Amino acid sequence: MEERTSLIKIKPKNYSDGEIVKVDFMVMHPMETGMRKDKKTGEIVPAQYINNVKFNYNGKLISSMKVWESVSVNPVFTIAMKVAGQGKLTVTFTDSTGESSENSIMIQPKG
Amino acid sequence: MQRRDFFKTLGTAAVVGATLPVMGMAAEEKKKGPNEFSYNQAVSAITGGKTAEKSDKVHLKVPEIAENGAVVPVTVEVDSPMTAHDYVEEIHILDTKNSNSRCVDAFFTPANGKAFLSTRIKLGGTQDVVALVKLNNGTYLIATQNVKVTIGGCG
Repeated sequence: MEERTSLIKIKPKNYSDGEIVKVDFMVMHPMETGMRKDKKTGEIVPAQYINNVKFNYNGKLISSMKVWESVSVNPVFTIAMKVAGQGKLTVTFTDSTGESSENSIMIQPKG
Repeated sequence: MQRRDFFKTLGTAAVVGATLPVMGMAAEEKKKGPNEFSYNQAVSAITGGKTAEKSDKVHLKVPEIAENGAVVPVTVEVDSPMTAHDYVEEIHILDTKNSNSRCVDAFFTPANGKAFLSTRIKLGGTQDVVALVKLNNGTYLIATQNVKVTIGGCG
């Protein structure tokens, strides 16, 4: 199984407890629709797109997404999140071929 | 063969040669994707037949003219206190003309603090982008904006 490069960013970088921050989740993923033809071989590239993204904060599901093939290549998903103490934010995603991967970031509010 | 006959046949060949690839492309467009949802099907699948109200509470941000249909940034923000009794449950991003009208269905909880969703979608041509929002009391709100696409992004 190929590991997908993914990245989680919290905006702004410095935040305090109780603040509402934005969470950017980016993945390197081809998001094939199953309708595109390979220009060299002329064959249809099989569909492979992310269909599920889950945001877990301290083991509690805060947000989930059902994603379809109309989302761009190398997708970025941004949501808002309320900081509630120190903890771990884990983002899990699966794609239509059953491939899944996860990434996590430590939430450390200042002050 | 006379000179003018020769040019006539040459002309017909050129016309045939030019039209054939166009016909080929038209056939390609009918290819089916993995999921087929027309806009109306998608809306009824989400709302279950309920009507969605147009609302100023839903802020949909999409560029009016997208130069590249492969990457169209979409931002949806909903005015909501996001408390346990009053929060936004779902935000759906839809379009009206892609072969699959559904782009993202996002589900939220009060822990989000703010109903905000931003992503980038592919648009096959000039069409409307729609944000369909479900509140926790079961009402649906909707916001629409037309996007002019100069270069299609599907394929």
